[in-house]
Amino acid sequence: MGSAPRTPSWLHPVALSGGSVVLLVGLWEWASGTGWLREAFFPRPSSVSAQFHAMVRDGTLTGHLEATLSRVGWAFLVAALPGVAVGLMMGVWRAAREALDPLFAFVYPIPSVLFLPLAAFVLGRGEAARVLTSAVTSFFLVAANTMAGVRQLDRGILEAAVHYGATGSRLFFKVLLPGALPWIFTGLRLGLGFALIVVVAVEMVGAEQGLGSLLWLSWQTLKVRDMYVTLLVIGFLGLVATYGLEWLRQRLLPWQPKVEVRR
Amino acid sequence: MTGAVSQVLRAVRTDARSLLAAGVLVGAWELLPRQGVLNPAYFPPASRVAAVLAEGLSAGELGPHVAATVARLVVAFLLAALPGLLVGVATGLSETVRRVLDPYVALLYPIPKVALLPLMLILFGVGERAFVLTGALTAFFQIAVNTMDGLRQVDPTLVEVGRNYGASGFRLFWKVVLPAALPGILTGLRLGLGLTLVTVVAVEFAIAKSGLGHVVWSSWQTLTTPRMYAAFVAVGLLGLVLTRGLKRLQDRLLAWQTSVDVW
Repeated sequence: MGSAPRTPSWLHPVALSGGSVVLLVGLWEWASGTGWLREAFFPRPSSVSAQFHAMVRDGTLTGHLEATLSRVGWAFLVAALPGVAVGLMMGVWRAAREALDPLFAFVYPIPSVLFLPLAAFVLGRGEAARVLTSAVTSFFLVAANTMAGVRQLDRGILEAAVHYGATGSRLFFKVLLPGALPWIFTGLRLGLGFALIVVVAVEMVGAEQGLGSLLWLSWQTLKVRDMYVTLLVIGFLGLVATYGLEWLRQRLLPWQPKVEVRR
Repeated sequence: MTGAVSQVLRAVRTDARSLLAAGVLVGAWELLPRQGVLNPAYFPPASRVAAVLAEGLSAGELGPHVAATVARLVVAFLLAALPGLLVGVATGLSETVRRVLDPYVALLYPIPKVALLPLMLILFGVGERAFVLTGALTAFFQIAVNTMDGLRQVDPTLVEVGRNYGASGFRLFWKVVLPAALPGILTGLRLGLGLTLVTVVAVEFAIAKSGLGHVVWSSWQTLTTPRMYAAFVAVGLLGLVLTRGLKRLQDRLLAWQTSVDVW
C-alpha cells in the first residue's frame, strides 16, 4: 500500500521477524527463571524444549501424533471426495443447488463436534464416529467452494467451448474442471484446516489417543510443560495444513492466482 | 417489463424448490422414525423434537441455556473486536509492525482455538473467564487477520488520488483507506462471530455446565435424545442467523461492492 511507511533498509525483514521471536523467547526465559512469570503457568522455553525431546524419545508424542494424523487424513478423504462430487453437481445443475441449499445453510454453521453423538448413534462409539464427525464441516467447505468455482466460470469461455463442439464429459474434463480447480483447492485447504480443528476437539472430549486427548490429560494432571509441547505440535500441524496445500497449489497451478473465498 | 416479471417468477420458483426440498427432508425425518426405519430412541421424529424445543423455550428449561450461549458469544466477541481491529490496522498500515508480529500470527492463527481451552483452564481455573477467553481468541485472530488483509489490498491508485487531492495522515486514512478496506474488515467481524459460536459451543460441550453445547452433551450421556436434537436445532438456527443474516446485512451496508457468494 502506498501510504505504508517503508521499513528502514538496515532492518532486513527476516531480521525483524527473527529478532522479535528471539527477543520474546529470551524475555520469557528470563522472566520465568527469575520468578516474574510463574513457572507453574509459563514454564521456561528451555524446559519446554527439554520436555519435547524427552517426549519424542520415550515415544509418547509420536504415538499421539500418529493417532491424530491418521484421523485427520481419513476425515479429509471422507470429506473431500464426496465434497468435490457434490460441489460439481451443484455447480452445473441448478435444481440440485436449490434443493440442497436449505440443508447447507442450516447444517454448515453447526459446530462439528456436536455431530459426535449423532455419529455415535449410527456407527457406535468408536473410531468411525470420530472420523465422520471430523469430516462434516470439511465436506461443506469443499462442496461450497467447488460449487462457487464452477459458477464463477466465464460464460464466454463456456460458450466458446460449446461452439467448438465440446459437450458432455469433454466439456466437463477440459473446461469445467480446470476452470474450477483453484476454487476446489481453496476448499481443500480450508477443509483440511477444519478437519484438524474438529479432530483435536473430538479427541479432547472422547478419545484415549491423539494430541487432543494428550492436551486434556495434561490439564487434568497439571503437566503444564506437556501442554505447551502439545500446543506447539498442534500449531505446527496447522501451519503445515494451511501453508502446505497453498505451496502445493502454486506448484500444480502456477498460472492461476490465489483465490480467496470470503464467506 | 417482461424482464422484471420473469425475474420475479424465477425468484418464486427458486424459493419454492428450496421450500419443497426442506419439506421433503423434514418429512423424511418425521416418517422414517415413525415407520421404524430409523430407531426412534436415537432418531425421534421431527414433530417430537419441535414439541420439545417449543416446550423447552416456553417453559424456561432451554431458555437459560440459549441465553448462556448467546451471552458468552457476545462477551467474547466484544472483548476481541477492539484489540483485533487495532492489531489489524497496525499490521495493515505498517510493514515494520507486521514483520514483528508475523511469526506469532503465523503460528497461532492456524491453531484450533479449542486447543487453547486447557491452557485457559490452567491460567484462570474452570469458569466463565476461561470459557469466554477461549472464544475471544477465536474472534481476535479472525478479525485481526482479515482487517490486515483488507488494508493491504487497498488499491494504491486510490491512495495516490487521495494524496494528490491533498489528503494526508489521519484524513487520508479515515476518508480513503478505511472505506476501501471496509469490506475486508466487516468480513473479518462476521467470520469472527461465526467461528466464535463454534468455539463457544465446543467449550460448552467439553466442560461448561450450561449453554446449548452442554445440553447436547448431557442429553447424549442420559440418552434424552429429543432434548439433544432440540438443542441441536437451536444451535443450527443461531448459526443460520449469524451466517446468512449478517451476510445480508453486510451486502446491504456495502451495496456498492459486488461480492463473490459462496453460500
